[in-house]
Amino acid sequence: MTAVLLDGVVLGLQFGLLGVGLTLVYGLGGVLNLAHGQVAVLGAIVIARSMDAGMSTGVSIVFGLVAVGLLGLIVDLTLMRPVYRLRGESRVLLGLLLMLGVGTLIDGVLEWRYPIEALTLRVTGDPVSILGVRMSYGSIVASAIALVVGVALFAFLRFSTFGRATRSVIQDEEGARLCGVNPAVVRSTIFVMSGVLAGVVVITRSMTAPITVTSGFGLTIMALIVAVVGGLGSVSGAFVAGILLGVVNTVSAYTIGSYATTIILLTAAAVTIVLRPSGLFGDRT
Amino acid sequence: MAADLLRITGVSAGYIGEDVLHDAALTVAKGEVVAVIGSNGAGKTTLFRAICGLLRPSAGKVDFDGTDITGLRAHRVSRLGIAYVPAERHLFPTMTVRDNLVLGAFPKHHEPEQLDFVYRLFPRLKERTGQHAGDMSGGEQQMLAVARALMCGPRLLILDEPTTGLAPKLAAEAYAALGELRDRGLTILVAEQQVPLVLALADRGYVLEQGRIRLSGASGDLADDPEVRHAYLGVA
Repeated sequence: MTAVLLDGVVLGLQFGLLGVGLTLVYGLGGVLNLAHGQVAVLGAIVIARSMDAGMSTGVSIVFGLVAVGLLGLIVDLTLMRPVYRLRGESRVLLGLLLMLGVGTLIDGVLEWRYPIEALTLRVTGDPVSILGVRMSYGSIVASAIALVVGVALFAFLRFSTFGRATRSVIQDEEGARLCGVNPAVVRSTIFVMSGVLAGVVVITRSMTAPITVTSGFGLTIMALIVAVVGGLGSVSGAFVAGILLGVVNTVSAYTIGSYATTIILLTAAAVTIVLRPSGLFGDRT
Repeated sequence: MAADLLRITGVSAGYIGEDVLHDAALTVAKGEVVAVIGSNGAGKTTLFRAICGLLRPSAGKVDFDGTDITGLRAHRVSRLGIAYVPAERHLFPTMTVRDNLVLGAFPKHHEPEQLDFVYRLFPRLKERTGQHAGDMSGGEQQMLAVARALMCGPRLLILDEPTTGLAPKLAAEAYAALGELRDRGLTILVAEQQVPLVLALADRGYVLEQGRIRLSGASGDLADDPEVRHAYLGVA
């Protein structure tokens, strides 16, 4: 059981990182990025294709992350403009629908052009023993990366000037504007950053299981559940929810069967929302 | 006039296509304290929002120290040196007092002297430096809102009804602090319903009624004006 729990934490750290990007973008501007997973998978395919073409893993990863960042920037500068001109419910709906469209488009293009492409990053090394459980080297590296990136993100938001400005826009946009913060610049920067974070997650996931061209939607759903359970807009909420749901995922797969995990995850999410409608840390950033 | 820091002419503004402020004209000279008085709904907040870039005027011009800032967005107006303390304060509720203050200096990194100055002006804030802004009392939040506005070293401080929800003692303290700021050369524009308090501090004032400026003059003259006394000072 310890092995299952540890696997859950490993998975959960990555879920958390996946959810953080989504939750930040929503907290900043009310945009629910339903293409979150698909954009990340596009990055993964770029990495896979680069490696197929003979480029080193390191260079390919850089290519992939740059591709994800660029795509995010383009989407933000084009599709998001009409979205941010709206307010309230209309903005949420248009944002949601447009990103759903983007996600579907990416899914379709990838399945059409590269149906059998997949990303698997083989991390060579001996298994490591944690709490008496032999963990594969790949999962250790994946967890380490997720942890380091997560801590760096947390420190960035907490202590840097831009990070503080980001939190201020989430908490009170008008107050932020009066302090001289340009919310549009913050939104665009975080939008691109959230894409790159998702890119990091597909890279770490690919160390333990292949990322295929159809993985995108599932990742988006996972990010959404994590963000909602954690409280939309809360970074710490996304991480805590991620770890919790990662453990729920592995425990239910182990005890009941992997076919039931999605149902159980959605049920866990629903129960959390019923008990705490704004999510676990919904009133904090 | 050459020494005008702020000059607005013919400004109309409103919401959802309908103007609530009509053809407003107002000047604030460097170093002055100017009051805007009027009852609820008179248009004081609309006027200030139009100056600060939270609202685009439908007509007119806003000039700040020789620069046309009409229609400029709020974050740009803030960076030009106008600090606005809105009636709702708009603090960051789960950020500490210190973080709220530091953000006031954005995009510049705050100078330690600014923080020191603000803490000396409002010692209660220094005591609560690690507290979440949302957990503080109304009076403390008002202090924090003013302190935050001062962090960028503004040339013009605009306050919208700073004594709302404050007990008389705290309101008097707030105005004492504003007096101290005025003595240090800060130019202040303040909207207020508590007329005696603001006219005691201000050099000049404007009376806003139903979106139009009805009266203006030296604060002493306004305080003696029978219409003002009847409408705002409760004198029969």
